[in-house]
Amino acid sequence: MANIKDKRSVTSRIGLFVAYLVLLAFTVLALYPLIWLVLNSFKTTTEFQLNRLGFPKKWTTLNYTYAWVKGNFPTMIMNSVIYTGITTVVTLIFSMMASFAFAKIANKATPFLHGSFVIGLLLTLQSIMVPLFLLANWAHLYNTRLGVLIPYIGIAMPMGIYLCTEYIKSIPTALVESARIDGATYFKIFGAIIVPMAAPVATTVAIMTVTGTWNEFMLINILTSKESLKSLPVGVQKFAGALSSDFGKQFASLVIGLIPMLVFYAVFHKEITKGVSAGAVKG
Amino acid sequence: MIEKHATMKSSLREQRTAYWMLVLPGFLIYFLVLAFPTVVSILLSVSNFKGGKLFGAKVPWKLVGFYKYKVLFHDPYFYMALKNNMWIVLISVFGQIPLGFILAYILYRGIVKAADFFQSMIFLPCVISTVVIGILWSAFFSPRGAYPELVKMFKPDYVYQGSVNHPMAPVLFVILWMYTGNYLIIFIANLQKIDSSIIEAAKIDGASEMQALRYIILPALSGVIVTSAILAISGSLKSFDLIYVMTAGGPAHRTSVLSVYMYDKAFINAPDYPMANAISTVMVAISFLLIGLTKLAENKFGGRE
Repeated sequence: MANIKDKRSVTSRIGLFVAYLVLLAFTVLALYPLIWLVLNSFKTTTEFQLNRLGFPKKWTTLNYTYAWVKGNFPTMIMNSVIYTGITTVVTLIFSMMASFAFAKIANKATPFLHGSFVIGLLLTLQSIMVPLFLLANWAHLYNTRLGVLIPYIGIAMPMGIYLCTEYIKSIPTALVESARIDGATYFKIFGAIIVPMAAPVATTVAIMTVTGTWNEFMLINILTSKESLKSLPVGVQKFAGALSSDFGKQFASLVIGLIPMLVFYAVFHKEITKGVSAGAVKG
Repeated sequence: MIEKHATMKSSLREQRTAYWMLVLPGFLIYFLVLAFPTVVSILLSVSNFKGGKLFGAKVPWKLVGFYKYKVLFHDPYFYMALKNNMWIVLISVFGQIPLGFILAYILYRGIVKAADFFQSMIFLPCVISTVVIGILWSAFFSPRGAYPELVKMFKPDYVYQGSVNHPMAPVLFVILWMYTGNYLIIFIANLQKIDSSIIEAAKIDGASEMQALRYIILPALSGVIVTSAILAISGSLKSFDLIYVMTAGGPAHRTSVLSVYMYDKAFINAPDYPMANAISTVMVAISFLLIGLTKLAENKFGGRE
């Protein structure tokens, strides 16, 4: 008996050891490149070439001051905040409204309309890239903020609609009906009942829209060419891409590009991971 | 009676008005940005559009048939890009998903301390902008970056050749690095839905760890695995940012993928819009085909458990 117990505890101890080893390996793998990046952003490029792996011998912030000014990063960050903020707010309002109608107001059009939003989850951005560029030119929206915002909102809608509709369906219909009998309009019901009760799903949608929009690169890259309209990812790509061998400054610009999302993740990591699992929608 | 009928009618009208006022703003934007351009894209792929105004041009473009598709299917660069896309699909489905599952399972079993810490750190790459990741890893793998130095620590006589022989290898590695955490999160969320008392009961009845995994956990997760595979496939076909930033498809198209090849056709040198749209239409078709196959496999094998 004791023998069996010993054997078990040995195998489970080995199991535990392997478990820690695997997790530690992946954690190191995830963090090492980022730590390497941050450390080297404080070296001059000359020092980096002599000492590519270690700590800086002489810490310098010159890379940052150079990148911050030459890369026009204050403007890029401001632009990203504007694009992300407006896209998130508008997407949230529109998808909550439509989802309320889909979930709680009977209409024959719902299967078709809701269905076409769900198909939108599967559509690839590549297939609309060229038409959007041509349409933006045709509508004189190329190189305008609106020309970036409209596509961003449209792209974020399907996920917003999908999640909000599922959630609002679970709110008891009796609440809506009794408010109707008391004479409340649908807009009143939306503001007084649906919005407060759907706050959890609203958070999830907001977080997902923020991460998606903030990191978006492909569309804004083709829809704008003006420096003053570019977002942070485009700015990083243009600045760092032009500095292929001046690693110090390149790394500083990457760290600048990294920090906003890291802060966001540090604050909202629970909500972000919740969004990822909620967004695993079957096509 | 008549009065009641009238109020009911006005209430119905109010209901309909409210419905459309709530739905239309979102639907119009969605239609304008996704649905309509998708149709335009398909039309352009069979047209002779040469640029200029999309509508209302002096010489309007016409539909001329599937000529571009014929050219595309004889284009060696198309197959090169497609092959690279398939590599990404493979590394996603058979790399990210199993690794994500293993990591999720370890965390779910509750044997390690600081599970939240490990989970947040392994997921971290997923929140970083692809542009930053692409440039970071390009520098890391470059001949003057960290990778050659790291290898030299173990093999002092190592001479870095670059990735000439396997130009896709660094890209595939980074894709694995970036997205494995995503599947970790998806699996752990769904593992936590499994009633742990079933597993405990099986353990008391003498089931081994492997048996519990094989007969309880994997069957319970089969739906999530299929969903993850679909996400991985459609995500792999869409991948653009990372390759555009890391290699832009080079050297000599050897790391090109369909989306980058399409971008080249549309925005580099003389634009060939019909060809670009033919490529994107083929991409959508392949994506739907692979998703269809995944679902077929699910129906065929999913019921066995």
